[in-house]
Amino acid sequence: MRALALTKTRALLVLAVASAGLAVTSSTASAAPVAIDLCASNGQITMPDTTVVNVWGFVQTASCGPDLVNDSNFPGAPLSVDAGDVVTINVTNALPPDPAPPGDPPDHTIRFEIPGIAFDPGPTDAAVGAMVTRTFTASAPGTYQFQSAGDAGRQEAMGLYGALIVRPATANQAYDPASTAYNVEVTLLLSEIDPNFNAAPDTFDLHGYLATYWLINGKAYPQTAGITAAAGQRVLLRYVNAGFDNTTMLLLGMHENVVARDARLLNNPFDANAETIPAGGTEDAIATVPATAPPSPNGFPLYNRQMHVTNGNAPTPAAPNPAYSPGGMLTFIHP
Amino acid sequence: MTQRIRRLGMVGALAAGAALLAPAQAGALPPGAPKIGMVCTPGTVSGSEHTFNLVANTGYISTPDGNTVFMWSYANADGPDNGHFQSPGPVLCVTQGQTVVVNLTNALPEPTSIVFPGQDAPVTAAGGAAGLLTTEAAATNGTVSYSFTAGSPGTYLYESGSNISKQVEMGLYGALVVRPAAGANFAYDSAATQFDPSREFLMLFNEIDPDLHHAVETGGTYDVNALHNRYFAINGREFPDTVQDNSSVLLPNQPYGALVRIQPNSASNPQPALIRMLNAGLLNHPFHPHGNHTKEIAQDGRLIAPTEHFGESIGSGQTLDFLLRWDDVDSWNPANNPFPVAPPNYRNVFFKDGNTYYSGSPYLGYTGTLPTGTVTQNVCGEWYFPLHSHALNEFTNFDEGFGGMGTLLRVDPPGGCFGAPASAVIVGGSLKGGSASALALDDNVYYQVNPRTTTRTSATTVAQTSITVASAAGFPASGTYYVRIDNEVMAVTGGQGTTTWTVSRAQLGTAAASHLSGAVVSGLATDWYAGFAGVPAGAQNLKVTYKGRNCANTTGTSCTAIASNLPQQTVKICNWTIAGATGCSTATSAGWVTLAPPPAQPQSVGSTDVTSTWTLPNPATAYLGTGANGGQVRVLVHTQRWTAPSPTPFSTWGNLMKIVYDAP
Repeated sequence: MRALALTKTRALLVLAVASAGLAVTSSTASAAPVAIDLCASNGQITMPDTTVVNVWGFVQTASCGPDLVNDSNFPGAPLSVDAGDVVTINVTNALPPDPAPPGDPPDHTIRFEIPGIAFDPGPTDAAVGAMVTRTFTASAPGTYQFQSAGDAGRQEAMGLYGALIVRPATANQAYDPASTAYNVEVTLLLSEIDPNFNAAPDTFDLHGYLATYWLINGKAYPQTAGITAAAGQRVLLRYVNAGFDNTTMLLLGMHENVVARDARLLNNPFDANAETIPAGGTEDAIATVPATAPPSPNGFPLYNRQMHVTNGNAPTPAAPNPAYSPGGMLTFIHP
Repeated sequence: MTQRIRRLGMVGALAAGAALLAPAQAGALPPGAPKIGMVCTPGTVSGSEHTFNLVANTGYISTPDGNTVFMWSYANADGPDNGHFQSPGPVLCVTQGQTVVVNLTNALPEPTSIVFPGQDAPVTAAGGAAGLLTTEAAATNGTVSYSFTAGSPGTYLYESGSNISKQVEMGLYGALVVRPAAGANFAYDSAATQFDPSREFLMLFNEIDPDLHHAVETGGTYDVNALHNRYFAINGREFPDTVQDNSSVLLPNQPYGALVRIQPNSASNPQPALIRMLNAGLLNHPFHPHGNHTKEIAQDGRLIAPTEHFGESIGSGQTLDFLLRWDDVDSWNPANNPFPVAPPNYRNVFFKDGNTYYSGSPYLGYTGTLPTGTVTQNVCGEWYFPLHSHALNEFTNFDEGFGGMGTLLRVDPPGGCFGAPASAVIVGGSLKGGSASALALDDNVYYQVNPRTTTRTSATTVAQTSITVASAAGFPASGTYYVRIDNEVMAVTGGQGTTTWTVSRAQLGTAAASHLSGAVVSGLATDWYAGFAGVPAGAQNLKVTYKGRNCANTTGTSCTAIASNLPQQTVKICNWTIAGATGCSTATSAGWVTLAPPPAQPQSVGSTDVTSTWTLPNPATAYLGTGANGGQVRVLVHTQRWTAPSPTPFSTWGNLMKIVYDAP
């Protein structure tokens, strides 16, 4: 049923997710075996100010190899499975050669994990050139983050992260209760980059880490994708904070109803318009688009309230400089 | 370098002080604004439209370490402020359903704007030009007008929507309060959000990296990613400036204080305080109230399932509403519920800088002795608890603590400040037993006063109407009064103040009789006053409480009951403006003013304690001594038994005499 494991581009993946979602509505969410191939590879992405940054990332492909990561597949669309699926993830490590013996820092061994998911017993690591298979039953719907915990966080800072969505039995709902129904779904994978670290991930002194690019789904404004939703539609915002910073996202012109944190429904959902997502945490919030005009021609702004809305070493000159600002974690909800 | 900075800071402070003299400057608060608590900028209300005129401009703030920081902010363009710079921006208070109009004039050198996070009704703009997030006013005196219907009640920020990584950090933010239709004493349309409107507090947080502000001031460059905050403010001030009054002349551009002041919750003080907390800063702040949990009731202007906290982080851009009540669960007091352990010896206690908020007594409402040379900021035994960011680097001013994002919770004694008599003076009578300290507590210890007595210097005939006594001391110097010799009551109608009295015989149901030389002449009244010291100028809402009784005996330690013909008690207070201290020097001096009802006076007081509390009208200044009598309050208790049949001498027993007041 699932073609996810073989998709290579985001466009294809989106189609696959859509078709999978349609298929769910006419099938029972019984335990189906799902296999996903992830390739930990390296590559480069380009920031809005044309700075090229070295990154590592998980690419969904069975044909794993080095230098596969690029602007079109970083950080990759969310993995999507149904509650009850028995999921097998094959993680192949095509990172650059380990500069030290495996286990000694710096260490390019992949340690694949999904906080909130209990894997079946088995090996956890994949050294460079090797593959590890991790299996689990997707027992609880929700929004999860997968990552590599290798090399004391350096691998995650390089980009080895992604989102996993476990879907409930009913289509177009985030969770089993009907109160989590939505019309439009968007995953907001939040992260940041210090290009100086990315240029030397094995040797950089992390005391001097200073992020200068602030990303939603691997992109900084104005490269971020807009969120298309019409008036009255319920937009499910799946926040996944893969960064190191507790991140506050401000939604202007509407409140969002926070229904879940860390893939668990809240006993007391609440309305927020400046919501802080802890580093490593996920949140699901549903916002209903007002029928009235947004505050700007661009739509309803959704942006980082810690004002990480600049790109690069943005000097603050006497007047705004479009080369640096606006940028960062900023997007809009618009028709 | 440090010295140079300090000197520059001082010059800035002096300049700001000079600006104070300008008549247009009104400390950015409306006339009559309270010294403590949230103050709204009035704006203009016309029908259902509420209009505010703001100007975005530049100015300087002072920090407690002597520095000054260049800021951008919104100011109130209307009088009396007329655009006087203030940080943070004016507090805009509107009522749900009103049409809110905010007219912005931009005096900054780059385009600016206002966004209203949490307002879900459309914000329409007139004038200006479309910007990234909202419509902007052009640089250098461009204008834009925003209008929206005030939506759900709650606490909201308003802030710049232009070049935000610079402009918000520079200070372009303020508080917007939407009040519910239920009334200004409700935070939301929910009965559970009722609060005491005289105890509504604002806590708006922000941080400052002076390097960015210096770069903006001097036209330099600055990397916002390298933000390193040095100052952490509540309502635009850093501790200890946060506990200064609203509109303090020391802080002409930072009008909003952050002292939180409450009284213990009780039947007469049932409503909690409301703290509206807003984080205009870029960091989250783990805010930590000492003393009591705070009850979080809303977030981002929306009610939540309430939770109680002694530590709660507020995220960047977030607003939280808290109800705060303080319960005296232990009710420690020195008389009947003392601490089970002795307080630490002062030799083991260090008072930093010889300055303290401690009263010298650990009991709420009591003051005590402090080591010589230690200055206390305490007024009347109130308690102070810190409220502060528990990110302790933020509890500093440029890394020196304490400072920064901290303020104090002041818990006043129940009903206000409590004063116990420092002295008790008998102006008509003699001491039977006890001392002034017996009046400090409601207990079984009494201050006891007998009527004055003297003796006849010769025998008295049945018809004699002029009698000579050994001494007139303690008897009234004017007015008719009664005395008793043996079984006869006489009225003294002349010669008061001398030893030769003109008397009317056989008064109040007694018969004229002859009396031996040396017979005891006893007054049928007692007069004494309690003196209170240290009441601060500006005290308001003064209340006097007296609890006491009268006993039939003038000797012995027990109280002999009075079943009938009860003594009449009148309690008076000294009005120092009538004749100064001499106006309240004797029992019949002109300065004594009978305390006005309720309860009405005189009162019949027998051998059962009677408790009465009188409230004085404001202003209370007339009842506070000045000059040599500075801080003194005097309360006179006059008790007489001048009614038939055949009144006998009695003793007056004072149990409790106290004053309570709201200290300034």
